Amino acid sequence: MTTAPPDERPARQPTRPVVLLRPVPGRSAVHELWAGTKLLVVFGISVLLTFYPGWITIGLVAALVLTAVRIAHIPRGALPSVPRWLWVLMAFGGITAAFAGGSPVVELASVPIGFGGLLNFLRITTLSIVLLGLGAMVSWTTNVGEIAPAVATLGRPLRLLRIPVDEWAVALALALRAFPMLIDEFRVLYAARQLRPKPVAATRRARRKRRARELIDLIAAAITVTLRRADEMGDAITARGGTGQISAAPSRPKLADWLVLSITFAMCAVAIALEVPLGR
Amino acid sequence: MAALCAAIAIIAVVVPFAGALALLGTVPMGLLAYRYRIRVLIAAVVAAGMIAFLIAGLGGLMTVVHSAYVGGLTGVVKRRRRGTRTVIGVAFVAGALSGGAAVGALAVLSRLRHLIFQAITANFDGIAAVLRGIGRFATAHPFPFSGPLGAGLEVAADRLKWLLAEALHYWPWLILANGIASIVVVSLIGWWALSRVLERMRGIPDVHKLDAPVDNAPIAPVPVRLDQVRFRYPNTDHDALSALSLDVHAGEHLAVTGANGSGKTTLMLLLAGREPTSGTVDRPGAVGLGRLGGTAVVMQHPESQVLGTRVADDVVWGLPPGTTIDVGRLLSEVGLDAHAERDTGSLSGGELQRLAVAAALAREPALLIADEVTSMVDQQGREALLGVLSGMKQRHRTALVHITHYNNEADSADRTINLSGSGDNTDMVETTAAPAATAVVGHDSGAPVLELAGVGHEYASGTPWANTALRDVSFAVHQGDGLLIHGGNGSGKSTLAWIMAGLTVPTTGTCLLDGRPTYEQVGAVALSFQAARLQLMRSRVDLEVASAAGFSPKDHERVATALAVVGLDSALGKRRIDQLSGGQMRRVVLAGLLARSPRALILDEPLAGLDAATQRGLLRLLEELRREQGLTVIVISHDFTGLEEVCPRILHLRNGVLEPASATAGGL
Repeated sequence: MTTAPPDERPARQPTRPVVLLRPVPGRSAVHELWAGTKLLVVFGISVLLTFYPGWITIGLVAALVLTAVRIAHIPRGALPSVPRWLWVLMAFGGITAAFAGGSPVVELASVPIGFGGLLNFLRITTLSIVLLGLGAMVSWTTNVGEIAPAVATLGRPLRLLRIPVDEWAVALALALRAFPMLIDEFRVLYAARQLRPKPVAATRRARRKRRARELIDLIAAAITVTLRRADEMGDAITARGGTGQISAAPSRPKLADWLVLSITFAMCAVAIALEVPLGR
Repeated sequence: MAALCAAIAIIAVVVPFAGALALLGTVPMGLLAYRYRIRVLIAAVVAAGMIAFLIAGLGGLMTVVHSAYVGGLTGVVKRRRRGTRTVIGVAFVAGALSGGAAVGALAVLSRLRHLIFQAITANFDGIAAVLRGIGRFATAHPFPFSGPLGAGLEVAADRLKWLLAEALHYWPWLILANGIASIVVVSLIGWWALSRVLERMRGIPDVHKLDAPVDNAPIAPVPVRLDQVRFRYPNTDHDALSALSLDVHAGEHLAVTGANGSGKTTLMLLLAGREPTSGTVDRPGAVGLGRLGGTAVVMQHPESQVLGTRVADDVVWGLPPGTTIDVGRLLSEVGLDAHAERDTGSLSGGELQRLAVAAALAREPALLIADEVTSMVDQQGREALLGVLSGMKQRHRTALVHITHYNNEADSADRTINLSGSGDNTDMVETTAAPAATAVVGHDSGAPVLELAGVGHEYASGTPWANTALRDVSFAVHQGDGLLIHGGNGSGKSTLAWIMAGLTVPTTGTCLLDGRPTYEQVGAVALSFQAARLQLMRSRVDLEVASAAGFSPKDHERVATALAVVGLDSALGKRRIDQLSGGQMRRVVLAGLLARSPRALILDEPLAGLDAATQRGLLRLLEELRREQGLTVIVISHDFTGLEEVCPRILHLRNGVLEPASATAGGL
């Protein structure tokens, strides 16, 4: 950003930040779904895409994500700005892949051009975008308070294997509670570091040594802060007589949840049915 | 167990972020494995993995698993006092296992394998094609050296393709070898770096206070009678509480006052079930900390008190499974009935504390201990909270012990006990007057130091979460001014402080320091944050001051001078940061900031959490600095008390807007 004269308002390109674990305001059918359903859908589709990363599957999942976005009224502004280096990186990958040529060869102005490499590259890129979109949908439509109880319910069968699912759910609930507090504390920590002078070191070796020491100090400060916070929260837990319930309103899958689950299941089945005969 | 659970949870938050910076994520995991059992590590991995999955999908999950492996390995090996050889051995086995797993997975997931291999081949083919193209071009054109260059490039292109084909042919072996090699290398690097960091972490003290009492007697904490009770913390040479006799009857409201260090918190611990060093504590049954009909405690820090993410969830948090309570009634009792579905993250300090009281009342306690619950809360919140506490007597048969350092808060109690004078008062080491000012600058009416014109700020602008914190704020601050920016929670006063210090670039308007935007000169305006601990990064006072001020830690003279400016003895220089009191921490921060001769000093809530005597000392110091050295002081606070001398000028901020009524001259 350049120096702006005081009388003139500098034009700033607004970069939209990444907002984590905060639902988009508003209610919709997707917001109302049980958190466990959403987790199951995301998990199931991740597995499907791992096994069958074909165009048909990707297309079907993309359609599902877009429908969910439409239903949940997610505005375009929810997407964070893509930093420029990512575009550069993608363009570089695309260009090198395009040079490879490959099986679908198209004659453009009597020059044969192979699109196989580019198509492969596009497929992997779309796959990552669709997977990220799927995760983002959960984050955009789910109140973090619903996640831990849902995990506890979903993990109930694991209890038979003597796996401490409830312990995990409590840890997860506390982690999600501590999340915004710690983000704030780390912001302050980072700002406090910015306010400090940067000592000049003569040699490269001294500089490296200094950087290492600073890093260790910063980590130590961060860990001290988190442990202090953990001790205080631990006191609060003891004052409440240990762990127990984590949610006031027990949530269960409703009719809509079963509907969504069956749609997802049907979609997976269709994708597999279409992919298997086409596969190599 | 409880502290542990919280530690797991919090570390679970840190890891996904630190994990993004490669090795950093291993530090907290290593610490967990070093301090606790492996089961703790697993719970942390699950929680951290879940959060990482929500944020970044499967990739995030893998990062967490990776950090957990390296951190866990180092932590466990370190705890068992083994060495590098064990690390190599374990890493080799782990590498073979994970490499084998990767090979197996790729063998089964043939489609994914083909896709990945095709993508790699495509990229390599592309590079080869480009190399060959350049080579042909060079051969065809008569540049100097173009013959050998062209031939060389074409050979390189062929080599590249051959290499890739060979590599893909032997892929299982390649992946296995790569797995082993990379895991051994990563483990060794992690081991080397982490063992140094863990040494440093060993010194971090455990500050948790409450321990769950083990007592199976029927629960009946009141009436309790303390007789000649003394308490001394392990490894200290004086009593924190000496020869105290006290009765708490059922249903009474007792206030306990006293300065910091007079043993107020120790008394809370004794009432909550700690065994005294000498003397007797008589109660009819067990303490029942957090049990139904037992003892409930509400503590100082509002944010750490509240454990649920939604208001209604927090009320039931930790109740035994199957217990049902009337959440609505409890919330309406503390005046939060309209907020049951709200996120606890958006509550103000006062609301958080009232919520903590509601959660305590959900257990229908026979004894409720409120330990300095108002010290971090603004005036409005304090009144509401005190209202809730004093109204409690009508609805519950609960004995209330209210520990406070504000005398006026004790007025509504049936009885008041003053602890001051009974214990050892570890007060500030105050030296004589600050050294004479080097350059006394009078109030000149020339160009302002700080000049804000139409400053507005919006967080997350352009997204659905956009939130306007400040709107059209304009004022100017001159050399030697003392300005108080007053406002309640959420008035945007902290955002304003960050903008004035140059840490935040305002979305509209300008904030100029000596005519240039502040964000171009970060560090010229000093900012002391509300949480002083976050600003102290070194392990010892002298190292901290030297680092913050930018001079060598060996320069004892200047460190001593810097400490003297804030009225601290130079003997304090060798003290560890973690052993300082709240007031001392704040002064050490100021010492570091002032040693750089800042153009202005901003203090965000400098008095929060300090007792009356410490507050007075700090205010006197600020006043002297402003009077004698011409320091420009800007205080940001929700309190007025005692600040008139330091800050003759007051601006009121409400909902991000300066209130015109009291905005004095000096604006633009």
